[in-house]
Amino acid sequence: MVLINTEKYIAEAKEAMKDSNLQKALSSFQHRIGPATAATYQKLPEGPELRLKAHDMRMRAIENLDVLLEVLADNIHRRGGRVFFAATAKEAVDYCLQVAHQHRVKKIVKGKSMVTEEIGFNEALIAAGIEVTETDLGEYIIQLAREHPSHIIAPAIHKTRKDIGRLFADKLGIPYTDDPPTLTQAARKALRAKFMAADMGVSGCNLACAETGHITTVSNEGNIRMSTTLPPIHVAFMGMERVVASLEEHDILFRLLARGAAAQNMAGYVSYVGGPATSDQSDGPQEFHLIIIDNGRSRILADVEFREMLCCIRCAACLNVCPVYGKIGGHAYGFAYSGPVGAVVTPLLVGINRAKDLCQGETLCGACQDACPVNIDIPRMLLALRAKLADGDKDWNVVRNSLAEKVAFQFWAWVISKRARYDRFLQLGYLAQKWMPGADGMISRLPLALHGWTRSRDIKSVAKASFKKRWQNRQS
Amino acid sequence: MTDQPKSSDQVRFLDTIRAALGRADAPPVDFQSVIDNDLEKTYKDALAAIANRTVDQKKELLKNLEQAAQPLNLKVKPVKDIQTASASIAELVQSKQPEWGTHKQVVAWQHPLVEKLDLTALLAEHNIPVVFTEQLSEAATAEKIEKHRRQVRQSCEDAFIGVTAADFCVAETATLVMKTRPGCARSVSLVPSIHVAVIKLSQIVSNLKELYAHLSWDFTHKAEGLTNCMTFISGPSKTADIEFTMVHGAHGPREVYIYVITD
Repeated sequence: MVLINTEKYIAEAKEAMKDSNLQKALSSFQHRIGPATAATYQKLPEGPELRLKAHDMRMRAIENLDVLLEVLADNIHRRGGRVFFAATAKEAVDYCLQVAHQHRVKKIVKGKSMVTEEIGFNEALIAAGIEVTETDLGEYIIQLAREHPSHIIAPAIHKTRKDIGRLFADKLGIPYTDDPPTLTQAARKALRAKFMAADMGVSGCNLACAETGHITTVSNEGNIRMSTTLPPIHVAFMGMERVVASLEEHDILFRLLARGAAAQNMAGYVSYVGGPATSDQSDGPQEFHLIIIDNGRSRILADVEFREMLCCIRCAACLNVCPVYGKIGGHAYGFAYSGPVGAVVTPLLVGINRAKDLCQGETLCGACQDACPVNIDIPRMLLALRAKLADGDKDWNVVRNSLAEKVAFQFWAWVISKRARYDRFLQLGYLAQKWMPGADGMISRLPLALHGWTRSRDIKSVAKASFKKRWQNRQS
Repeated sequence: MTDQPKSSDQVRFLDTIRAALGRADAPPVDFQSVIDNDLEKTYKDALAAIANRTVDQKKELLKNLEQAAQPLNLKVKPVKDIQTASASIAELVQSKQPEWGTHKQVVAWQHPLVEKLDLTALLAEHNIPVVFTEQLSEAATAEKIEKHRRQVRQSCEDAFIGVTAADFCVAETATLVMKTRPGCARSVSLVPSIHVAVIKLSQIVSNLKELYAHLSWDFTHKAEGLTNCMTFISGPSKTADIEFTMVHGAHGPREVYIYVITD
């Protein structure tokens, strides 16, 4: 059910780079939001260092997840909400299907949620004959176009206003227009009818609070409030790591989340939901279900090398500054999570070998960590994943990526471990390069497996004498 | 302590986490030990520090609110008393046109401050009905509750303006904060095209830190808790999903007004 296309990374990336609309959209998006986020961090009264404090908070929560989730569940139970702990994607989807069947649910409205993308929620419910409508404007566009989101916060950035105009003319039967306010109004009208008719509303959870027993939803459009207020049942999906102990922590984390996600001081709507409506309240869902999802996260938690990744609050700040994401867009990453966060999380969730290109495609430039509101050391974990691919790893069932590469590097390590050996190797290279094509002191094609390096650039030829030798000669 | 026996899915799930954390056999960790007490104290102290804010300081906060509201397209209207607020809101109701039809109707919270506006009388002369989302008696039957919920839903759909109060308003981020209580339906600030909130000057807090300090440490708020649904609203609904162009009124209200009573 769950769509995983990580094997097509290289092919998809090439396609993306040929798409001039996408290139324009990505570049303009990154230029606008990347620097704006950095500026909002600078303007924090506590300064950008607040991100370090937030990192500590998140780590503390992750290292006490068992305690926090138990308190969260207890508090939600007390208000009459139900909590289901799903070990796998299938358990989560099945539980929701069961609730839907119980209440003869025919129509679901849904707020944007990455974890539901991860578990293949839409596909499963639609297969069961239930209508699922995405209500975030970007997600709605993507759903109408039968595509997948290409950015966590701005899922439809790869579509031009003309694309959307044609799409709406075709699917909503409105006269063609490429005017964003008119298009938005058309979606507003169509979705308002969906909200009113829905039997169930589905949301994600940005960050729960254990102490008070609430999940939170965040949006700018108000679609999540609509989805979780109007239908009689609210089902919320939450990755198990999205919780902190106390309400005070929400102050700091929400300020950072709004800045990381959209360079805002505050999102348009934040709702704390802690249970179903009581009988003396005139509206709100009469049933509230929270589904807490593991689906591979406990394995990440168990490995101290990658545990830090669970601090992530999915704001997409790293996507907005990543030079790789900025060229290849979100689809190439082949799974719910794209950009630097995807390059670490996806291999850990779907298999490191299967998603090896994701972590190998990133540049290790470190922009993602600087942009991260909770200062996650993504480059460190990208390297750790590459090390597993180089050496293989039993715990993560990683098969060594390439024995030849390993042997080559072992050989290289052996060569450079002794100066005399290295000098002889260079001399050999100096002699051998006479048979290699090139001009003006550059080699244009290296032999054998090494030719990959010269496919798109030349390499400087080996000098007759090494720098060290020349230096010695000069001194004497 | 919990009221229910733990479900098997919970036990199995949390055992997996304990094993992952390497404390499968360790004694259970107390929740209180996980709380960052130093952090909590800074909020408690913050609340004490703002207890005696002067009127001038409060007016300063109002200025900050107006400044923060402007780029969000949120309209802040300081008014000297409740009568002025009523008159101004009545004028607004008359000047605006419904988005979805031609019939003008207002829906409002059954809340002391909102009721004091006496909009029913003011708008009656213009034939604009004001429907209050009334509180049901606790003894209501399931059938009665169902009927009441249907009526409230219909009134919110039919209304083009919703009038509410709020618990707090955060100056720095222009954020209205509303807990859910009987008589104060959530849809009133959500479904109508225009949301009007009425607050008193004393309800403005400086920033999110002060807000969270109140929610966590103010005696009444601490006792009440966050309720089953607490909502923050910072301006009208907006989206930038089409080519990054800002458009107001994606799903929620297209316009939001905050009337601040300063006397």
